Order: sequence, then C-alpha cells, then structure tokens
Amino acid sequence: MGGADLWDDVMYVFRDGEACVSRGGGSEPERGPRGASLAVGVSAPRTMFRYQSLEDCPLDEDAFQTLGEEDEDIDQFNDDTFGAGAVDDDWQEAHERLAELEDKPATARELEDGAVSDEMDLLGHHEENLAERLSKLVIENELEDPAIMQAVQTQPPMQQPGGLNSSIWDGSAVLRRIRGPLLTQILCPKPVHIRAPMQQRYPSPYGERMSPNQLCNVPAGRMSPSQFARVSGLVGSPLTSMNPKLLQGRVGQMMSPASGFRAFFGAPPPSAPPPSQQQQHPPCPGSHLQNLRPHPQMFRPDTTHLHPQHRRLLHQRQQQNRNQHRSLNGSAGDRAGHRSSQQEQLRKDPYANLMLQREKDWVSKIQMMQLQSTDPYLDDFYYQNYFQKLEKVSAAEEMHGDGPKKERTKLITPQVAKLEHAYKPVQFEGSLGKLTVSSVNNPRKMIDAVVTSRSEDDETKEKQVRDKRRQTLVTIEKTYSLLLDVEDYERRYLLSLEGERPALMEERKQKICDMYDNLRGKTPGQERPSDDHFVQIMCIRKGKRMVARILPFLSMEQAADILMATARNLPFLIKKDAQDEVLLCLLRPFSLVLYHLPSGTVTSLLQQLANLPQSVTAPAPANLHLAAVLQNKFGLSLLYLVLSRGEELQNSNAGTELMQDNQWTELMSMTTRELLRIPEAALAKPVSTPSNLLSLFSRYVDQQKLNVLETKLQLVQGIR
Amino acid sequence: MLSFEFGLCINCNQCLIFSVTTNADLTSLPEKHLVLLRDGRTLIGYLRSIDQFANLVLHQTVERIHVGKKYGDIPRGIFVVRGENVVLLGEIDLEKESDTPLQQVSIEEILEEQRVEQQAKQESEKLKVQALKERGLSIPRADTLDEY
Repeated sequence: MGGADLWDDVMYVFRDGEACVSRGGGSEPERGPRGASLAVGVSAPRTMFRYQSLEDCPLDEDAFQTLGEEDEDIDQFNDDTFGAGAVDDDWQEAHERLAELEDKPATARELEDGAVSDEMDLLGHHEENLAERLSKLVIENELEDPAIMQAVQTQPPMQQPGGLNSSIWDGSAVLRRIRGPLLTQILCPKPVHIRAPMQQRYPSPYGERMSPNQLCNVPAGRMSPSQFARVSGLVGSPLTSMNPKLLQGRVGQMMSPASGFRAFFGAPPPSAPPPSQQQQHPPCPGSHLQNLRPHPQMFRPDTTHLHPQHRRLLHQRQQQNRNQHRSLNGSAGDRAGHRSSQQEQLRKDPYANLMLQREKDWVSKIQMMQLQSTDPYLDDFYYQNYFQKLEKVSAAEEMHGDGPKKERTKLITPQVAKLEHAYKPVQFEGSLGKLTVSSVNNPRKMIDAVVTSRSEDDETKEKQVRDKRRQTLVTIEKTYSLLLDVEDYERRYLLSLEGERPALMEERKQKICDMYDNLRGKTPGQERPSDDHFVQIMCIRKGKRMVARILPFLSMEQAADILMATARNLPFLIKKDAQDEVLLCLLRPFSLVLYHLPSGTVTSLLQQLANLPQSVTAPAPANLHLAAVLQNKFGLSLLYLVLSRGEELQNSNAGTELMQDNQWTELMSMTTRELLRIPEAALAKPVSTPSNLLSLFSRYVDQQKLNVLETKLQLVQGIR
Repeated sequence: MLSFEFGLCINCNQCLIFSVTTNADLTSLPEKHLVLLRDGRTLIGYLRSIDQFANLVLHQTVERIHVGKKYGDIPRGIFVVRGENVVLLGEIDLEKESDTPLQQVSIEEILEEQRVEQQAKQESEKLKVQALKERGLSIPRADTLDEY
C-alpha cells in the first residue's frame, strides 16, 4: 500500500473473502480495514475498476450486516487487546506499590547482606538501571560474556572447548546471575495487587503453602498475551519497564509445562491473601508464616516407593533437622523471632519450594506407574539377575562366617496383577454391517507380499554357499531360543505348582532333544552320516559358544557324540577359528564331560584326535592331523585332558581294561612319537598341564625319551 | 519449608525415580545437584524444578570442566535442560563437596587444558581412521551414530 497514490483506488480483500474497492482519495472503505479482518490491501489504478461501480459491488446491505456480525466476533480479541476490555492500568501502579512495600525489608537485607551490591534497585524507581541490567541478560555475542571472556583470552571463540557445539549455549543462553532479591521481587509480587477482580473468580479449597509463582501464574497466564501485544505497540523506554512483567509471565509459563499441572494452577490463591496483606514484610507469600507455627513437624509424605537406602537417608536427615529446628524454635518463639528466622532462611534460599508437594507427588506417581510390571523377571531381567547373584554371594559369604554382611537393599516396585484383555473389535452404531477398523490389535494387510522360492538351478555356487550359511545362522538362533528356555526351567520349576511340574519336565526334555537334533542335523536314518551340519555351526563363533552352553544339558551319550565330532574335525575347526579364538570356551564343558566317560569312549576319542582308522596300519612318518592339533592351544589342551583322563582310568580299578586295550597302547606310542618329533617352537602353550602326564608317559617310553618329553612339555612343576 | 531431593535410580527400564524429603526444616540449606548431560557437560546447581520427562530447572548453575585431576568452574546462571539430554542427576553432599582430590584451577587454565586434550584426542582419532582406511574398513564415529 505504500505505493498507492491518493488518487488511486485501493482494493481491499477481507478475510471472509469479500472484496471491495475504495474510491480514490485515499479514503478507506466503509467497513474499515480492521486489523483482524483485513487480508490484503492492494492498490489498483482507477482504470482497472472503471467499470465497477458501487452497484456492481457484490456487497449489499444484507451481506454487510452478516459480515458485520462476524466481524464483531473477530474483533473481540482486538477489543481485549486494544480496546475497552483490556485492563492495563494496574501494573504500573502495582509495581510502584510493590516497590515501596519491599523497600524496607529489601534495604534491611541489603545492609545485612554484604553480598548484595549497591546496584540493587527497586523496581519502581530505577528503570534505566533495570533496563541496562536486563539487556545484559541476553548476550548476543558470546565475546561479551564476562565468564567466557575471562577464560578465553587468547583463543578465538571458534575454538570453544571440546569441539562441542556449545555455541548455542555460549550465545544467548548465557545469563548473568540475576541478583537474588531483585528476582525475588519479580517473582513474588503480592497477588492482591496484580489482578484484584480476577481472584474473586477462583475460590481455593486449600490452605496449603503456595509457591511464589503459583499465585501469579493464573493471572500471568492470561496477562501475557496482552502484555506481548502491547509491547509490540510500544517503543522505547516503557519497554524496559515492561520487562519485569515479561519475565514474570515467562517464568509463569515455564512453570506450567504439562497439562497435568493445570490442575494445580486451576486452584490458586488460598485464604492466604487476607493474612498476607497484614504481614507485608516477608516478601514471600505469607502462607509460609501461616504454616510455620501450627506445623513445624512435617506431614510425612509417602516414602514407600523409595529405595530403602534412600528412605533411610531421608529419615536420618529429617531427624537431624528436626532437632536443629526444635532448638531454634525454642529460643525465639515469638513472632519477631519467626520472622527473622524466616528471613534468614529466605535469604539463604528464597527459591526453595518452587515445586509444590503435590506437584512432586504427581511426577513421582507417573514414574512409579511406569515401573509397574506384571512380570519383573521378564521386564527387568538384568536387574533381577544382578540382585540374585549378589544375594547368592552374600549368602555364601555368610556361610563362610566372613565379616559383617554388606547390606544389599533392593527397590521394590509395585506389582500389578496381569489383566487379561480380550480384543473386541470396534463397533459403530448405526452402520450397516461390520466395519473393519485397522488398529494395533487388529492389523490389516496393506501390502500383498508374495514369497517366491527360487529353484535350485538358477542359483550360482556363491548364492548356495551364502544360503547355506544363512540357514546355519537361522538354526543357531532357533537353538539358542530353545537353550534360553531350557535354562529357565529351573526357575519356573520352583515357581510352579506341584501338578504342573511333570509337564514342565517333559517340556524340558523335549526341548533338549530338539536342541540336539538341531545341532547334529536331523537325519532320518540311524547313522549320522555327516558331521557337516555340526561343523557348519561350529564355524560360527556364536555356534561355538552355544555348544559350550548346551553341553551340560545333554545326556552322556549325546555329549560324547559331540566330543567325537569335534575331535574328528578339529584341524578344520582350528583353521576356521584362527580369527575368533573361541574354541577355548569349549574346554571347560569338554573336561566335565570327559570325567564321566568310560574308557572305551576315551580310547575312541584319542583315536579321533589322532585320526587313526579303526585298524592300526603302518604308522605314517608324520601324523598331520595330530600335528595340527598339537600346534593349537585348544587342541593341545584337549589332548592333555584326554591323556590325563586315560591315566586316571589306568590308575583306578577300571584301568585294567585300558591296559589290555591294544588300541590304547598304540595310540599312546603314536602320540608320544609325535610329541617328540614336533619342534618345541611349534608346540602350543596349553591352558593347563595335568600333573599325571609324566606318569602316563613313563609307561610307554624309556627314560631318555621321558626326559626329553619332560623338558619339552615342561611336565615337571617348577620348571617355568 | 520443604526442600526436595532427587535421586536418580537407573534400574528398571532406565526410569527416573525421584523422591521428596520429609524435611520440613526451615533452616536447612538447599541441596546442590550435579547433572551430567549427553554431550558430556557437567552442570552443578540448585535444582528448582523437574517434571516427568526429567526436564530440569537449575539455579545458579556452574559448568564444571574436568581435565585430568583439575577442574574449573564457569558460572552460568539459570539453566533449563530438556529431559532427553540428561544422563544422570545426583545430589551433592555439601559436607563432602570440599573433600576431593581434584584441584580447582582458573577458567582459562582449564579451558586451555581441555583444548589440548581435545587436540590430542583428535590427532589419535585421525591416525586411527587413517589406519583403518588403509585396511579398507570404516567405523562410523559414535557421536554421528547418535543422531539416528
């Protein structure tokens, strides 16, 4: 509209869609462009609208009226802001009164409190000072920040510490510390003065103490839009005097983040105003004073949901302070004493109590609700297990009669009963037939995905390999789920009823069988023709760990089978394990199995390790299989375990069997030969060297060779 | 007057549990709290308000920078922290506060130390990335992962 000439027509388009033209002369149309309703004003040269006369104008009397009515509605806001509805006279006077009232205690405090600088000013009087100080609150350039400037004298601001994106903080968020008393005045004005008429509309049931902000929240909330609107219209110094109010409004908004809090804010000023009017001296609401006398002891909020250690701490502190408080109260029981103590405490911390007890409880309640669970073992597995372990350890300690038991306290969270929810599909009233609504409980198929299985011919070799690996991975995952279930049965057994237990046992057995089948690969025939499936699993790190975990659950026969398969394919597995080095995790379960094996099995095992066929043929010059085994840590350790077991068996009563077994002797000679042959450097370092190997070897080799073996394998303790 | 105390107990599902003291003593001092933010900053201040998202209002906040055995404080004023950025929050025992083996230094010094430390870290990081690149590997940095 800037370019509009006085003689041009101006076309106004109103929000309700109507347009009208104002004749040249710069006069406004009859309706008048009101801020709320005008959408666009366009300057149009007269010629364009030559043909349009008032008769052609779409607006007629009726339209005008209806428009006018709508206009009135829209204009209500306008009215409130600029017009008669706005109550805008109070605040300046209110502030002045405030300032006077708080002048006395403020100055009193000033004298006592040396920390308050001389630039502490009262709101009403030194607005320029205030403006200056408040403008410093928002520092545009971080270089102006005294804190940063002190620090970063040689560094340019770009190198702000840590490469952190701290610029957002270093900039406008850096606030100078607002002087305590000043902020107090901003935050704790007397509610009475702000909106006297408003308060009558909100009767309050509570006589509780109020936070300083609560009282000004309700009025502030309504005031701030109008405040801001007015600010935009004002220029210059009045702006600075508005700032305290803005701050106040802002603070008020800050304190009402969630909708739930409205409940508290909806019930504002209590009966406190009348008494507080009399007691003007304490700048904070007089409800403090009110509650001081009747209840020096606190009401005890519910602490059952707290962590036990926490609760104890709180009670301790409470006791402490109660004693302190009593002594204080005893000395100064009169009103003056109260006031001074209150002032002192307020000086110490005027901002405490910003959150009401109810607010704290409310948030606390939300947190506790989130912790409710029907099955804590499921929802919070690690925490529960951790505590169980701790308890076991402490129980063990106790049994050993160790020192004072360390107290481990656990947070008890509320447990809710599980509610069964049957899904009921949504039904619409008045509809013909049943309409299907797709929801979380009732998902609808959106995409028609068709699974196409590829034929074998099309695949390339690589794809086959990849698929096979994927199959193995899937098998491992399935077996792992079974394993986790099986491991859990013990706990379930304890928790279950008597009648359910057999069923649980059955399930467990079945799952173990399934696991074994998965490991070995289900074959229809009796014979398990190939170790292939098993070897595939063992090539994957997760598979190895899984086998180690499964072994304790398998029967002796099954476990021996696994051992055999491992020994048979050991060189291959060793090669594959070069990167992972996870085979060692199998040692422990293997050794456990070994110590239950009969001699025949042990022999076969050794056979597998040495890779000799059933019938002993002429010994080859070098046994590559065995050599590979010896050069690997796991292999060597396993070999030692087997040998050690054999020795044990020989020493025991059942050992005669072994002695008579030709195979065993042959195997031993083979083994010793290989051990002698292999250079010491190539020999791996075993996890542990069993002590009975020396005696074992002494049966099969002469003294000279025995000595060689001794030194080579470091069989005698103390040579290390 | 009620002063409130918060304890952050990350057990179940990483929930925040806070409690209210029964301390109605009017002469007690407010408790200082220490907040650790996700970007690694440490703030110390008087906790004035909290909500269910762990949005915090800290009063007379001080940002404490730790480098090695030294630390330095930068006064910051009032902080409003969005809950998602809070890692942990704990109360400071005012009696034990001064009982620390750490040595307080001036702001310039600590910022300098921090800069040096950051530089050293970046150098080593660069070398690592270079070495990995030569082997054909690339490990994404943790902080960039965090955004997605």
